[in-house]
Amino acid sequence: MLSVTLTKRFPGFTLDVSWEADDRIVALFGPSGAGKSLTLGCLAGLVRPDAGRVVVNGRTFDDVAGGVHLPPQARRLGYVFQGYALFPHLTVAENVAFGLRDRPRAERRRRAGEVLERLGLGEVAGRRPRELSGGQQQRVALGRALAPDPEVLLLDEPLSALDAPLRRQLRDELGRLIREWGRTVVLVTHDLAEAYQLGERLVVYDAGRVVQAAPKAELLLRPASEAVARLIGMRNIVRGTVVKASPDRIEMVWRGRTVEAVNSPGHPYLAPAGTPVAFFVRPEYARLLRKDRAAPDPAHRMNFLTGSIVGEIDQGTAWTLLFRLDGPGEPSQGAYDLEIEIPKLVYEILDVGRDRQWSVTMHRGALQVLPSG
Amino acid sequence: MRAAIVLLLAAGLVLAGSSPAAAQPALTVFAAADLAVAFREIVPRFEAAQGVKVTLVLGSTGNLAMQIDHGAPADVFFAADAAFVDRLVGGGALIPETRALYAQGRLVLATAKAFGSKLTDLRDLLDPRVRHVAIANPLHAPYGRAAEQALRRLDLWDAVRPKLIYGENVQQALQFVRGGGAAAGIIALSIATVPQIEWTMVDPTLHAPLNQAAAVVRRSPRPDLGAALIRFVGGPEGRAIMKRHGFVLPGEF
Amino acid sequence: MDLFPLRLSLQVAVTATALTLLVGLPIAWLLARRRFPGRDLVAALVVFPLVLPPTVLGYYLLVVIGSRGLGALGLELAFTWRAAVLAAALGSIALLIKAAQAGFETVDPRLEQAARTLGRSEWSIFWVVTLPLAWRSVLAGTVLAFCRALGEFGITLMVAGSIPGRTQTLPLAIYDHVQANQMAEANLLALLSIGLVVLLLLGVSRLARLRF
Repeated sequence: MLSVTLTKRFPGFTLDVSWEADDRIVALFGPSGAGKSLTLGCLAGLVRPDAGRVVVNGRTFDDVAGGVHLPPQARRLGYVFQGYALFPHLTVAENVAFGLRDRPRAERRRRAGEVLERLGLGEVAGRRPRELSGGQQQRVALGRALAPDPEVLLLDEPLSALDAPLRRQLRDELGRLIREWGRTVVLVTHDLAEAYQLGERLVVYDAGRVVQAAPKAELLLRPASEAVARLIGMRNIVRGTVVKASPDRIEMVWRGRTVEAVNSPGHPYLAPAGTPVAFFVRPEYARLLRKDRAAPDPAHRMNFLTGSIVGEIDQGTAWTLLFRLDGPGEPSQGAYDLEIEIPKLVYEILDVGRDRQWSVTMHRGALQVLPSG
Repeated sequence: MRAAIVLLLAAGLVLAGSSPAAAQPALTVFAAADLAVAFREIVPRFEAAQGVKVTLVLGSTGNLAMQIDHGAPADVFFAADAAFVDRLVGGGALIPETRALYAQGRLVLATAKAFGSKLTDLRDLLDPRVRHVAIANPLHAPYGRAAEQALRRLDLWDAVRPKLIYGENVQQALQFVRGGGAAAGIIALSIATVPQIEWTMVDPTLHAPLNQAAAVVRRSPRPDLGAALIRFVGGPEGRAIMKRHGFVLPGEF
Repeated sequence: MDLFPLRLSLQVAVTATALTLLVGLPIAWLLARRRFPGRDLVAALVVFPLVLPPTVLGYYLLVVIGSRGLGALGLELAFTWRAAVLAAALGSIALLIKAAQAGFETVDPRLEQAARTLGRSEWSIFWVVTLPLAWRSVLAGTVLAFCRALGEFGITLMVAGSIPGRTQTLPLAIYDHVQANQMAEANLLALLSIGLVVLLLLGVSRLARLRF
């Protein structure tokens, strides 16, 4: 159980955040410089906030108003730094045993050995950090943080120092490890895939503030605002005008056409007609209609659009098609209105390379309205 | 472990309170630098006569006086200027009853033999071939002050001043001339008789008399010994030695 | 040939260097790692002994420890070998502080932060993380300070005097021999000084190469 309220002022930047989490693994996600690592520093007690309160698992770490600041030494947490911060003058074994000073020598050795074995570092125990690979260094950093059996584990960009292929593999291992470990984890990352795979609750940071804190599914399904949607890399964020809003759907006018989007039953967006609204379209849910199939029954809940492909991007295993709607007017995203994603197989079967005029259908669930803000 | 090292260091410092083994001096004499040569003869004779060991510390009168003022462990002070002694007597550092004039010093113009020609008059210092002139520092050395007085008296001070190099005491001034740093110098007669230089007497009326006084230091644990040395210097044996080294004796001035 | 000045100088230099380390390392650490009111003033004060003329320093030190200062309280410091230690330490401490401070500043502060999260006290962190990682700079500073202490002259002359057999250190003895035109003795002592320093530097560089 984490409760974090922090204010910290620097010249040119202010951190002002407040969030809570009951989940076990919390990911602080956002662009660089948004204040995520700073938050982690405050959680660890390495940075003193100007105002606020930090309570972790019932223990008050910081309470500025009440004059409480628990030093890092007393917080019983493990911290894995970005770049690992391994002690270069100590061996792997000494690094891992560093936090075990207050235990009798025999137990120190036993515990360190146990951690080294579990992380597969037994063979390199006598080496110095600079002799290790990136992946090994990361494991030493983890081992060092976990050896003293902390209550909370803090990870600052645990994978960003690694090359892409290695990162994928270690992401899986890390995920397994923190789930096995079973205690509270707070990790910081600017990689959405990493946050999504490792975290249970995502706290989205932007310029020193929290723009949304939610379980990961909810975040992806219902970003709280256009800003959040952009932060999590949503594509096809476009603008229209409300025609009619009801609890389960919203009818909008977009580029001269009427489209329908879902509304969330839990928190429906009910705005009067004429309200400008932003919404996004999931590129992988837009479907090119086969030329030999008839147009769908308008009575069905499908949006139907016609237009042409004005550009395409090879993504390796899929194509991103840049789709421009027929008719006059400026496209919503520069030269095109919509990004549509189709697997390479579909691209070849439909001969999209040659045939550029298409009709597109989208279930109303492919459109998600974004409340302003 | 590291706390142990720190404690060791600290303990070492405290324990190091013991001074390194050294023979305990029986009499510490602070003497003006111009007495260097004369006292080299006087001290052994006094040691033999009294059966004591003398530690001789030479320096500029002003400096020595200042150190005595701040507790220097001198037993007796032989200054090159009575004014310094009288000031210390007034301040209570020296015993007034022991104050005695023991000699009057003489100033000479010294030329390094390596220079080539012997300078005979202070005005010769204007010679452009004379690039550096050494004197003791006028601020705290009586012979330096006398040198300045003489130069001013002859209106030579402004012209010669750029060439002056100051020795910390009159012995160092001599060293400059002897070592080649200065072609000439104005120093004490009593130390000028060295093979590397030639000298000419400076007219004593050009400067205030260098009345040299001595006194016993009040703090001394053996004031009787200090007084004995003053008596020795003023006695027949001492006076003969002093006269031989160019000093003018009490009774003659 | 009286070797008392050599023995005295060695003792003075070793003691002065120990004192310098005891006082200088904490100051260097504070300057490197802590912000506090008056920090700039302290940093400037540290440089003071390097820029003031030795005789000025010596005079003011004498006023403090002489018979009109601490001496009046019964502390026998001036004109003893202890004054020579103080003079040597005063003249050399800035060298140690500057070198050690620079060394501490190059230690990645995140390493110290990591040590904090792992439960180590500030005292422990200094000895186990900061100092070992800065040891080369600290060693260089210590050697510099020792050599400076060995050669200390102006301040020593003022506060300890050049009393043969008592406070006449090696540099003072050389000076006295030169003044008395005893060049043979002066040269011998000077050669001993140089030899000592060369041995020290060789030994230290050998030690520096042994470690990683």
